[in-house]
Parts: sequence; structure tokens; C-alpha cells
Amino acid sequence: MRKTTLAALALLPLATAGAIWTAPAKAEDVTIGAIEILTGPNSRYGVAIKNGFDLALDEVNKTGVLGGKKLVIQYEDSAGNKDQAVNAARKLIGISKVPLLLGPTLSNEMFAAGPVANEQKIPIVGTSTTANGITAIGPYVFRTSLPEADVIPVTLKTAQAKFGIKKVAVMYANDDAFSKSGYDVFKATLEKLGIQTLTTETFGTKDSDFSAQLTKIKSLNPDAVVVSALVEPASGILLDARSLGFDEKVRFIGGNGFNSPKLGDIAGEAADGTMVGSPWFIGKDDPANTKFVAAYRAKYKDDPDQFAAQAYDTLHIVANAIDKAGAADPEKIKTALQAAKYTGVMGPFSFTENRDPADASGVVVLEMKGGKFQILK
Amino acid sequence: MSAALDSFFFSYQALIFAVGVNGLLALSMYTVLAIGQLSLGQAAFMGIGAYVSTLLTLDAGWPFWAVLMAAMAVPALAALVIGGPTLKLTGVYLALATIGLGEILRIFCNASELTGGALGLSGIPNKTSFGLIYGILALALLGAVLVARSKLGRAMEAMREDEVAAGVMGVNLPAMKLGALVVSAMLAGLAGALNAHANSFIGPNDYGFDQAVTILSFALLGGIGSPFGPVLGAVILTVLPELLTALHDFKLVVNGFIIVVAVLFMPRGLLVWRIGRIG
Repeated sequence: MRKTTLAALALLPLATAGAIWTAPAKAEDVTIGAIEILTGPNSRYGVAIKNGFDLALDEVNKTGVLGGKKLVIQYEDSAGNKDQAVNAARKLIGISKVPLLLGPTLSNEMFAAGPVANEQKIPIVGTSTTANGITAIGPYVFRTSLPEADVIPVTLKTAQAKFGIKKVAVMYANDDAFSKSGYDVFKATLEKLGIQTLTTETFGTKDSDFSAQLTKIKSLNPDAVVVSALVEPASGILLDARSLGFDEKVRFIGGNGFNSPKLGDIAGEAADGTMVGSPWFIGKDDPANTKFVAAYRAKYKDDPDQFAAQAYDTLHIVANAIDKAGAADPEKIKTALQAAKYTGVMGPFSFTENRDPADASGVVVLEMKGGKFQILK
Repeated sequence: MSAALDSFFFSYQALIFAVGVNGLLALSMYTVLAIGQLSLGQAAFMGIGAYVSTLLTLDAGWPFWAVLMAAMAVPALAALVIGGPTLKLTGVYLALATIGLGEILRIFCNASELTGGALGLSGIPNKTSFGLIYGILALALLGAVLVARSKLGRAMEAMREDEVAAGVMGVNLPAMKLGALVVSAMLAGLAGALNAHANSFIGPNDYGFDQAVTILSFALLGGIGSPFGPVLGAVILTVLPELLTALHDFKLVVNGFIIVVAVLFMPRGLLVWRIGRIG
């Protein structure tokens, strides 16, 4: 008896799983795949991206693609795990036969799933993968997120011009791919701009005490501290710096990890004066952006973030490319994507020959004031 | 039909390969657990195998069979070196020391230029195949069964049940412990090499504490009465999360629930049956 119950318990989810998998989309729809982090600790990124896709999908489907066909997105959850991202990519390509993939969320996942799509000649478009070397995976790998290599130089140039920064201290998390690759860009840009680096300090992503590194940095009197880290350690650094009594004139300059409202939520006023470059800002007042922000708030009762904005633009770009291609054919879509031209909430957009975003003119430099970001004036 | 089979195999290839590789890892755990030792260094040995094999493929261009040999030899050497000082430890103390080994490897890989730091190594060519992975798994399983059926297996079981008594009866405890650690390191290193050449990307965080615990849970869920138990545990724990993807947020809840139920009702693992003996 006990064994039967057990077996039934084990089989129940399998049965439901089978039923959901095999549900086919209508033949006249165009189904594309999306791999995002929808569960687990990093799901806030994936869910924001999904919201952005869905909002744009509603707009696209008012007219449809390829002469009125509906565009459908089949979502697969990667849970932030690269093996699951690969499984999802294989499932979408092999069983659902999608002509195009969106995602995955993290650069690590793209390094694992990208080669699978590339080998099968299915275009894959990352909307949030900013690490170096993503598009080097192969000719079918695209991304619409500005790589850090484009955003960081704008931030540093602005800081140099506005505040006359000559010598800086650098800090980065050396156990995280995102932070390390941001650091590499910082280092190269600082050299190019002729800014002197006094010291380079490292820490771990899960660290919570940065006083040793910051005490050393304080004694060197830098004009600014350049930090490449995710938002949690970044907030810790700002709080520690404030309690160590850093001069308020010393600016903290961050990479994309700083570009999150959470920074203000955690660090509060300790974050004031922190500078970060962003491909998008909620307060940009061009008509496309105001329309997007209003529509997002109406649909989700929440403010959009950078990930939602990038996803929103990406779906429009992809839908246009499918339309231009004239058929749901991976090869034709790839050619159409390569030639895509679009102006969205992030500003004018097109791909470089290497399938990275070509235009960094949409980048805005932000500054923290009273725990909130605003455009640096 | 062939096209359908093709798309099924293509779609689930990563999963099918993972089942085989995890089966090898479970066997590697089994060789240590079978003599009553608890090592959490399996993930580190796997990592050494993965990095060594990847570097040899990418930078030195060795043929794949030689790469596999090296992926077994280097972790075995590491096991020999750390074996001396750690063999005097037992139970939780050995577990602690081997966790230390994993942490050292992770920090080294993050700091070293050679291993690509936190960015890991990408662009690894896929050199594995279904036949290769499952052939190796079958060989390892056969070897483990033959050992378990022999006199050596009897000594191992005696050690697992009561180390002191086994020592008094003439079992060479230090040699058995070192031997088990070295063999388990070789199996884990081989699994690491196969895993690296089935994926196209490896990073330092793939071989940390989480992975060590996962490998341990393969063996514990399946049971260590025979070598088949850990392999069964690996199959279940690899396939289950994938089968449950449709449950979204409840996936991990149900996954955990099934494991709790299994452990509650079958504390000695799913396969309690022991292997018959010759000799």
C-alpha cells in the first residue's frame, strides 16, 4: 500500500509535465523560444525580462507578423543554471523547432547555450548578457545589451571631464565572471584616458566586510574609487566607506552591477554621489520611453527596470526582423537581424558586423541623490 | 521515426550525457563510502580533471584519449599527495579536510590567469559521444562489481561496518584508504573531463561545495550496498528536476519532497540488496 502511494506521488508530477510539454501551438502562429531565469534567487532579472517581452508582444500582436500571424513566445526556465539553460535550448530547438531564441539571462548561461544554437544555425539574441566574448561564440549569436566595454568608457570620460579625476583606486570581485570582465574594461579604459591607478584591491562576491581594502584606499587619497561588483557587495562597500569617513568629494564609480534601484534601497544616503552609466533610464523623457513606462506601470503596477527596457526593445527588433525575413526561417531571420535598424526606448539601435549593438549614444550617466538615481547634470 | 528519434536525442542529449557523467561521479563517491570514509573532495577531483583536460585540449592540442588519461592521472596524483596527511582523519574530520581541498581549488582557479579566472574557459570542443560516456560507465560499473564480489570487497565491507575489528583481522587499513581515495579521484577526474568536453564552458564555481553535496546525495539516495545503488541515485537525481520543469516554482519543493520521502522510508537507500560473493 505504502509503495503504491509512493509510486503514485512520484508519477503525478510526471504526468502533468508530459501534458504541458506536448501542448502544441496553433499551426499558423510563429513560435519563438525564450530562456530566462524564472525561478530561484536571480529570478528578478528573468521576470523583468519576461515582463518586457510580454508587453512588447501585446503591441506586436495588435498587427501580427508575416501578414497577421500571431507571434508566440515559449518560455523555458533556466533557474540560473547553465546546464538547465542548455537543456532548455536543446528542447526548444529539437522539439518546438523554434526559428529563433531569446536569452538566456546570464553571460555564463549564454557561454553554455550559445554554442548549441550556433551549431544548429538558430539565431540566439541575448538581452542582458554583457560579458566580453559573447558574440565571439559564433555567427548566430547576437546581443542587444550594450556590453560593458561600451558603457564604462562613457562613465569614466564624463567623470574625468566633470570632476577632473586624475588618480583612482580600483576594487573588484575576483570570483565572479561579470565583475571580472567589468574590471578588465575599467583597467583598459583608465589606461587609455591616462588616469593613474593607485592600487587594485580584490574581494569575494559573498564578502560583507570591506574595511581592510577601504582603509588602505583611504590612506592613498584617491580622487575616486572605481568598483566592479554586483549590487550586494557594491552596497556593502558604500556603507563601509561611509562609516570609515571617506571624504564626500571622493566619488564612487560603478559598472553595470551598480545600476539597480536596490543600491539605494540597501545603502541609502551612503550611496549619494555614486556614478554609473546606463543604456536606459526611467526618467529619460523622449516620447517612446514615456509611453513604455506608462504602459509598463499600467500592466504590472510596478516600475520597469533596465532589463525590462532592453527586453521590450529586443522583441520589437526581433518581430521586425521576422517580418522583413518574410518567413519563419532561421537563415532569413539572421540576415534580417544583421540589417536591423530600430529606434526604441534605449535610443537608436543597429547591430555591428560582430552582432553587438552599434550605437552607444543612448547611454546616460546617472548619479545617486537621496537614495535615488537621477541623470547627472 | 528516425527523425523523431533524432529530435528526441538532440533535445535531451545534454541530459542523457549528464546522467552518464553523474553515474561515474556516484561510483567515485561509492569507492570512498564503501570503506566507511566520508570525502567531500569529489567535486574538487572532478574540477581538476575538467581543468586539466580542457587546458590540454585547448592549449596543447593533445588527442582526446591522452587527455582522458591525464584527467585521471593528475587527480590521482593529487589524491596521493593529500592522502598522507588526511588519511589519519576519519568521519567528519576527513569531510572537513576535503571541503578545504575544494575551496583551495576554487580560489586558485579564480586567481590564476591560466584557468581564465572567474571567466572560466569557453569554446571547448565537444569530443564526447553517447557510446564513449556509457562505455566508460559500464566498464567502471563492471570493475566495481568485480571488486565487490572479491576478497577485496569483503575487506571493504568489514572496514565499513567496523574499522577497528577489520584492522585486527588483518585488513591493511592505510593501504585500503589510500587506494580507495586514489581510485575515486581517478573516476571523478574522468567524469570531469567528459563533462567539460560535453559542455562548451567550465567555470570555477561549477566544482564547489554544492556539487560535492550533490555527488554525495547520489550515493546516499541510491544506497551503498552495491555499486548499482549510487548509479541509480545519480539517474534519479539528474532526471527528476528536468521532469519537474513544468511545475515552475514548485519544482524544488516537489523534488525535495520526493527525496525526503525516499530517505524516510528507505534510510539505507533505494537499492538495499547486496552483491553476492565469489572467493
